Amino acid sequence: MLRPYPGGEKNDGFIVHSLGPQRMNNQPNTTIYFNGQPTAAQPGDTVASALYRAGQRIFSRSFKYHRPRGLLCAAGRCPNCLVNVDGTPNVRACTEPARAGMQVRHQNASPSLERDWLAVAERFDWLMPVGFYYKTFTHPAAWRFVEPLIRRVAGLGEVADHPPPASDEAPDYEHRYLHTDVAVIGGGPAGIAAAIAAAQQGRRVTLVDDQPQLGGHLRYAGVSADGAAAAETVQELTARLESLPNVQVLTSATCLGLYEGHMLGIVQQDRAPQSPVRERLVQLRAAEVVVATGAYETPLVFEHNDLPGVMLSSAVLRLVNMHSIKPGEQAVVVGDGARTAPIVACLQAAGTRVAAVVPTAAVIAARGTKSVTGINTTAQDIPCDLIVVCGDQVPDAGLVMQAGGSVKWDEQRAAYVVESCPDHVTAVGDVTGSTVDAPAAASAGHSAARQKRSFVCLCEDVTTKDIDAAIAEGFDQIETLKRYTTVTMGPCQGKMCQLASIAVCAQRTGKTIGQTGRTTSRPPTAPVSLGALAGARHHPVKRTPMHHKHDELGCVWMDMSDWQRPLYYGAPDAKQQAVEAEYWAVRKRVGVIDLSTLGKLEVRGADAPKLLDKVYTNRLSDLRVGASRYSVICDDAGIILDDGTISRLATDRFFITTTTGNIEFVQQWLEWWLVATDWRVHITNVTGGLAAVNVAGPRARDTLAKLTERNLGRRAFRYMRCRRAEVAGVPSIMLRIGFVGETGWELHFPAEYGEYLWDAILDAGQEFDIRPFGVEAQRLLRLEKRHLIVGVDTDATSNVLEADMAWVAKLDKDDFIGKAATLQAQQRDRREQLVGFEMRDEVVPEDGTALVLDGRPVGRVTSARYSPVNEKAVGLAWVSHELATDGQTLTMPVRGRLARAQIVADPFYDPAGKKLRA
Amino acid sequence: MSFLLPCPNCGERSVYEFRFGGEVKERPPPDAPDDAWPRYSYATANVAGVQQEWWYHTMGCCQWFVAQRNTLTNEVLETALPGAAP
Repeated sequence: MLRPYPGGEKNDGFIVHSLGPQRMNNQPNTTIYFNGQPTAAQPGDTVASALYRAGQRIFSRSFKYHRPRGLLCAAGRCPNCLVNVDGTPNVRACTEPARAGMQVRHQNASPSLERDWLAVAERFDWLMPVGFYYKTFTHPAAWRFVEPLIRRVAGLGEVADHPPPASDEAPDYEHRYLHTDVAVIGGGPAGIAAAIAAAQQGRRVTLVDDQPQLGGHLRYAGVSADGAAAAETVQELTARLESLPNVQVLTSATCLGLYEGHMLGIVQQDRAPQSPVRERLVQLRAAEVVVATGAYETPLVFEHNDLPGVMLSSAVLRLVNMHSIKPGEQAVVVGDGARTAPIVACLQAAGTRVAAVVPTAAVIAARGTKSVTGINTTAQDIPCDLIVVCGDQVPDAGLVMQAGGSVKWDEQRAAYVVESCPDHVTAVGDVTGSTVDAPAAASAGHSAARQKRSFVCLCEDVTTKDIDAAIAEGFDQIETLKRYTTVTMGPCQGKMCQLASIAVCAQRTGKTIGQTGRTTSRPPTAPVSLGALAGARHHPVKRTPMHHKHDELGCVWMDMSDWQRPLYYGAPDAKQQAVEAEYWAVRKRVGVIDLSTLGKLEVRGADAPKLLDKVYTNRLSDLRVGASRYSVICDDAGIILDDGTISRLATDRFFITTTTGNIEFVQQWLEWWLVATDWRVHITNVTGGLAAVNVAGPRARDTLAKLTERNLGRRAFRYMRCRRAEVAGVPSIMLRIGFVGETGWELHFPAEYGEYLWDAILDAGQEFDIRPFGVEAQRLLRLEKRHLIVGVDTDATSNVLEADMAWVAKLDKDDFIGKAATLQAQQRDRREQLVGFEMRDEVVPEDGTALVLDGRPVGRVTSARYSPVNEKAVGLAWVSHELATDGQTLTMPVRGRLARAQIVADPFYDPAGKKLRA
Repeated sequence: MSFLLPCPNCGERSVYEFRFGGEVKERPPPDAPDDAWPRYSYATANVAGVQQEWWYHTMGCCQWFVAQRNTLTNEVLETALPGAAP
């Protein structure tokens, strides 16, 4: 169990307070494998930092042109480092902690990242202009040829054909539900301060951060705003946090969305080394939400800005300060104002020479083919292997907007600032936009580039040229531009490219960024694996009390709603023989079937007859004690909802069976018609408490007579009667009903005697060669009697008249649910009719086969089986009303040929019902 | 959809514990004109605003109750057991 708010203690590996990097230092180095090659990983390394330290510069190939891509953001926001880890595709290498022995493979490149023959795609860019799928390859023949090629070239990771089998011991994913007073999203300085403030007011606080440790940008910034060493500030803040018992911290937990009712969807990676859970979806309900998600850096747009070696300044800070990596030999810093100085200092401290600091507006292009070899500026060309870009600071305000808050463009700051938040949601820190310091040349810098390979959107390979072309074609509104070019629609979900695309659009259309507007922010704010959404691989099943007996008898199971039922008893490859043997046992001797899955209700009270008369179509108020009656339930449109038997055990006590899996519905339906009445009725669902079997066949009476003292004689226990009796000493309700068309009794008895009575019946029937039978034999037996199954032979449009059951609706009752609709249906022409048919040709149509006449569809088969007693196939079908006459020939395609059938009015077995009553 | 619904018996719970039962409608009397029945079965007012509707607490007390909910905001103004409703 999850203890509430444990205050710093570990708690089943789920909630872990974080104390900063020093915790990791006593761990040894480990080895991970990249494309099979061993690579050393230091404590605290991510996959990306370990590979970068080992010299890897190309991490992926781009979506469309297969251009080499390297580390850009190192913070899990850009698409550049997606890799396959231990079989899971599209893992962000820069946030995935390195674990000993993990197998990392590249994606979307063949044969290797360094030499990818698919890069030839870039030569054919003229074939794939923006919106090419609307323009080229439009001829169907051309598309058929090109489509597989495009699918091969474009793409991200591949999903394994055979996922690893589910294991009960090791759930990959799980769901958790938490509640809190104040949820703080973001564990940077502003978030921690907000959490401390709320906790000091005595409120329960849950702090959610997407990194393994708290601290936000202080973890890599070097110094915090007030000049103190960042690491010390983080330690001081987390220490204060730990001293508060009412704060719970979720680390490595990304908030995907803020939904109504202050519900936060959070995906948490499990970092505990032994934890079998990979990811968990936490649904956190909060009274108040504080959004402290901070701001993130986005790239600048210039020619070849996507080359490996072009890196955001924050990524460089991360590599140096968090992972002690020397990011390059010679760097050029691109940026304006005060922002460049700390970056230069950081690079120099790491041993990287800074060749120049270049203002944003002066950049022309990066040089290089597979990685940066230099930079062209308006003043000079400078050789370098690293271009550090001080990009725009974009407040991460997606959650604010999802909550219904608003954000507006502040021309002064050149940033989006939070304008308003709804009640109980507040934004603090950098996410508000009010702290964005030096405006990078958001509009000017992006818009300068007009060349061919100035990338706006790295995920989808959208360049400024593509945006120009789209605008020229008339897609000059940001929303249509987005849809046409797919800019912002890749795995980064616009984080890296939204501002740039808006800025370019604004510049080209002569508007301001504020006038251009922005695209809508929707959950999820970060990519989420389908496994986390699906949760544990867990399929609950219901088993009958006799489940293990069926297993011992070697049955083949089938699923029926939540239940497992024996389909037949025998080898999986011998279905037909097994079903026929079971069938003949019932027709000639005796068979027994487990019916425990039937829904069972007890309806008691003085007004029970009134309720049942209202809800069921048949009349039940005049049912005598000790009698049973069949009826259906309709809705007020006259549609059949369910069927079953109603037995009167006492004047004020009825026992009802419903279709398997429909019990909850029927119970709720009865209760619904009871609300706001003063009727004295009590409804109890006894499905789980009672086991049930049907013992049927010419020797059923002989079998049961050995087990009960109740007189089972023809006159003493007639058809459609019910009695209480002890059967093998077990108190039972015996219903003499005949779904399968033979003499038979349905026994309902306490579930705890399920196995005992099952065995007792099989023992008693041994001398008559009794056989257990399954659902398949039952379906065949009842089909020969033309007994329909609601939901198989009827659908959501079937009424009692068209289902050929007019007798079950007592239209002379004052009222019942569906009476008015049934009366109206009587006045109208019928559309369809449920009919029985037998095949003239020696084939068995599958359920669902269409009936055709002169090439027109005129109906459909709902059930069809080979009838051993008739030595031909019989079935039920819906046909157009004008065709529904006795003897009418029907045709249907069966295995490629038209087969003939004939409508038969009577049941296919014992039409007079003599055996049933025998 | 992730709003909270106060069950009259069990208190405020996630909406996923409940089954929606549709708008509160008056069932026509048995002698109502023919067109009243299809309207009752198939037509809904589809209010953009506060409406009265049925809910059933499937994962709780198994009771039907009536809620007043704003269909635009999912704000639940009031819930009451039938009969107790004002």
